[in-house]
Amino acid sequence: MVRAARPTRADYYKALAGSLPSGALVVTSLGNASYQWAALHHGPENFYFEDAMGLALPLALGLAVAQPSRPVIVIEGDGGLLMHMGALVTVGAINPANLTVLIIQNGVHAASGGQVLTNAGLDLALLARSSGIARSDNIWDPEVLAQKLAAASSRDGAECLVLATEPDLDVVRPPVTLDPVLTKHHFMAALGAPRYVPAVFGGGKLEGS
Amino acid sequence: MTRLHAERADAHRPSEVLNALKRLGFGAVVSVPDGWLGKTMARSVVETAMRVVRATHEEEALAIACGIRLGGIRTALLVQNAGVLSMGAGMVCLAQRYQFPLLMLVSYRGTPEDAVFYHVPKGRATEPVFRGIGLSYARVDRHRPIGTQIEQAATYAEEASCPFALLLSREDIQW
Repeated sequence: MVRAARPTRADYYKALAGSLPSGALVVTSLGNASYQWAALHHGPENFYFEDAMGLALPLALGLAVAQPSRPVIVIEGDGGLLMHMGALVTVGAINPANLTVLIIQNGVHAASGGQVLTNAGLDLALLARSSGIARSDNIWDPEVLAQKLAAASSRDGAECLVLATEPDLDVVRPPVTLDPVLTKHHFMAALGAPRYVPAVFGGGKLEGS
Repeated sequence: MTRLHAERADAHRPSEVLNALKRLGFGAVVSVPDGWLGKTMARSVVETAMRVVRATHEEEALAIACGIRLGGIRTALLVQNAGVLSMGAGMVCLAQRYQFPLLMLVSYRGTPEDAVFYHVPKGRATEPVFRGIGLSYARVDRHRPIGTQIEQAATYAEEASCPFALLLSREDIQW
């Protein structure tokens, strides 16, 4: 639930940057979720969403399935979550232990100018638990986020942390151009993802398959 | 395509769909239910080593497939054509914008061979919408082996770095 005197996105991001698990892959949703993370902690193991609102969570789920030995952290907004709430159910069904879902709950669609959310006061942690993610909590303190991330490696399932956050409507200018295709290529190279090996007359495969 | 996999023209076509995915090294399938595709989805769970993810909505399925491919696993989507109609924003803003190579095996409902009349509006809209959003696609030729056509579609997706939809008729996928 949203309460008064909430921390800012920057407060949570500092806690995240300071307690990022080794080898973590970070997926950020559109707008300041990506821009501010790039400003603070730009690197090839970040996958920045340019648009496609609501799809950061399901993409991160797929990534966690494909890379079970790497911690995957996704930062989604409450508005994005409401757009594709079914993804929460799919996360609950698969329940990958390497997936940490961070929901910025600021009660508004910040990336589109701050329109108030439909039913902004939902208990999203309760919703996540009902969807099958047993480890789901509402958080009001960045230090608690850091503690949760420090304990993430011992989990037996996914975790969803709902971060009560002050809205940030001023767009942060990212320090680099977040080109979508370059983002993908840099990310896959950092992962060591297998290349597609073409065959002139068909039948190409990924390396090693 | 002289080196394409040799396949008997009279082979059981639904079986050949799964055989082709296995042969091409697909490691994951993301699906949303459809009557024609249902048994292929079920058999993909028990007959292959592929990871099968059941999504709640086709646009969500598309994003999951992008994530699995981002993680280095060749991935196919099994969805109905109506599902592709409802994933338009994710298609253009994510899959096409980031150039994810994805094989989409799409049941082509609402064609004259479809006995369920309420699919007709989706059938009529399918190809115009695909062309409108720039989604590369082909209709399966029922007179040619299906495995070969899946291989060609998968190759197109990889070579062009984009999703490619292969529209499947009932006899291609109903067991």
